[in-house]
Amino acid sequence: MYWESELETLETKKLENLQASRLKNTIQRAMNSPYYGDLFRQKGLSADSIGSVSDIRKLPFTTKQNLRDNFPYGFLGRPQKELIRLHSSSGTTGNPTVIFHNRHDIDSWANLMARSLFCAGVRDTDVFQNICGYGLFTGGLGFQYGIERLGCLSIPAGAGNSPRQIKLMLDYGTTVAHAIPSYLNRLFEVFQEEGLDPRKDTKLHTFVIGAEPHTEEQRRRIEEMFGVKAYNSFGLSEMNGPGVAFECTYQNGLHIWEDAFLVEIINPETLEPVADGEIGELVMTTLDREAMPLIRYRTRDLTRILPGVCPCGRTHRRLDRITGRSDDMFIVKGCNVFPMQIEGVLMKIPEVGADYLITLDTINGSDEMIIEVEVKKDWFNGDITRLDRLSRLISSQIRDEVLVKPIVKLVEPNSIPKSEGKAVRVKELRKSLNS
Amino acid sequence: MAYQVSIFLENKIGHLERVTSVLKAAQINIRTMNLNHTANGWGILNLLVSNPVYAHQLLNENGLSAALRKIVVVEMDDQPGGLDDLLKQIVKAGVNFTNAYGRSGFGSEKAWFVIDTEDEPDARTRLQEVGLILLSEETVYGNT
Repeated sequence: MYWESELETLETKKLENLQASRLKNTIQRAMNSPYYGDLFRQKGLSADSIGSVSDIRKLPFTTKQNLRDNFPYGFLGRPQKELIRLHSSSGTTGNPTVIFHNRHDIDSWANLMARSLFCAGVRDTDVFQNICGYGLFTGGLGFQYGIERLGCLSIPAGAGNSPRQIKLMLDYGTTVAHAIPSYLNRLFEVFQEEGLDPRKDTKLHTFVIGAEPHTEEQRRRIEEMFGVKAYNSFGLSEMNGPGVAFECTYQNGLHIWEDAFLVEIINPETLEPVADGEIGELVMTTLDREAMPLIRYRTRDLTRILPGVCPCGRTHRRLDRITGRSDDMFIVKGCNVFPMQIEGVLMKIPEVGADYLITLDTINGSDEMIIEVEVKKDWFNGDITRLDRLSRLISSQIRDEVLVKPIVKLVEPNSIPKSEGKAVRVKELRKSLNS
Repeated sequence: MAYQVSIFLENKIGHLERVTSVLKAAQINIRTMNLNHTANGWGILNLLVSNPVYAHQLLNENGLSAALRKIVVVEMDDQPGGLDDLLKQIVKAGVNFTNAYGRSGFGSEKAWFVIDTEDEPDARTRLQEVGLILLSEETVYGNT
């Protein structure tokens, strides 16, 4: 029933005490890092400042900008010799964000991942196909280590190449798969193109979906198309990656693992905690990370804690679906994109005007990022190949920056509406998010 | 030196008319044209008009992206095999081109072959050297 029954059903008071003692350890460890060490000493803070978990409010927040400004080792609390992995964000403009892990961190993450998968009904008899990019993407190795820890037969399939994904499912009797929800619409189409019905022709019974926001309706559609149960997975690389919060078989909110993460929901304007059950920004503190602990990290994801106890018996509270962001980041094909990154790339291309528009839409079953760009009038000389080359240059530079290949549309001068005040740079048209 | 006007157009309803309405208002005549498009939602309209420099200025003033490109117009026989023979001469002249279009003589006249020579600075001289007849600006623009 549970991967770790004692921990997962730990009485709330005992869970809070565990959190308080782990928080004290975390602060101690954090003070070994240049950033937190200086900051806390400056403010007269230390592990002794913490008596109970509510004392966390005495500590300052940490933002993505703090991580970037102190790249690469500002947040490191253990010697480099001990580190065995790093995961980093993409981006060639400005500093990326990097998270370092030592052996304990990788082990703890693998365990959280196994616990999460077990929570969603995955067992060691399953054949688990991870349809997710490997490399620096935390979804690849993050799931891999969890799948292996749980004991399933793992198929490290990587992303894309739908015919090959299908062949793997048929050859090896895949029973569980992990993928981003927008991709599964496309995968289903390919099944149909090949004259196959996943409900009859495969042994799939479970999907794990995550890495991008999606609606309840989309989840149900996936379940119907494939004849599976689909469970929502939540994570962020600053909190390792996947395995932060996961749905149980009741599919009613994502249990966030409170022995590993201290959760706060704050009002992003006032920075005060919201009332119970209200929507706010998710702020997280690692409780079990050694190499690079993070304290009161502002995730910018908006959500709320669902009230009440889950019938599954787990006492770790549940998060609602992510409803949005308190910044302008969006996700396409599972990749995080900030409009500023797009702007940074475009501004470096002299042939391109200052106005651009990003449209997110679903075309032929796939989510696409369409970027409209005005060509500078005095640059246009009537040569079609020059325009074509410019279009491809823009596309490849954006892809190098955000890891998603956009559709680039060159448009006539002054055709992108100029808004008064803050420019509207992103138009969201994807049906999967608006149903 | 003869010019064509090349205009960047999105493949959307009403956009071509932005061009033609400007030309109509200024009473500029289109002598011949071609329009093509790419898979990316835009294309280039090439126009041979009676007053290319003026057309270029007007179109730009009206918010369009227009450019002038050098062309030569070669006179040729309007009969089967005419273009085949002409091309052999052009190859001999060592002139390369990526954009070209034609205009029939409609029986009574010679046909025209229009070549974009923006990227071929000596094209005019080389074509004349192999004996080809290039039309004058006045003839091309119809302002005789």
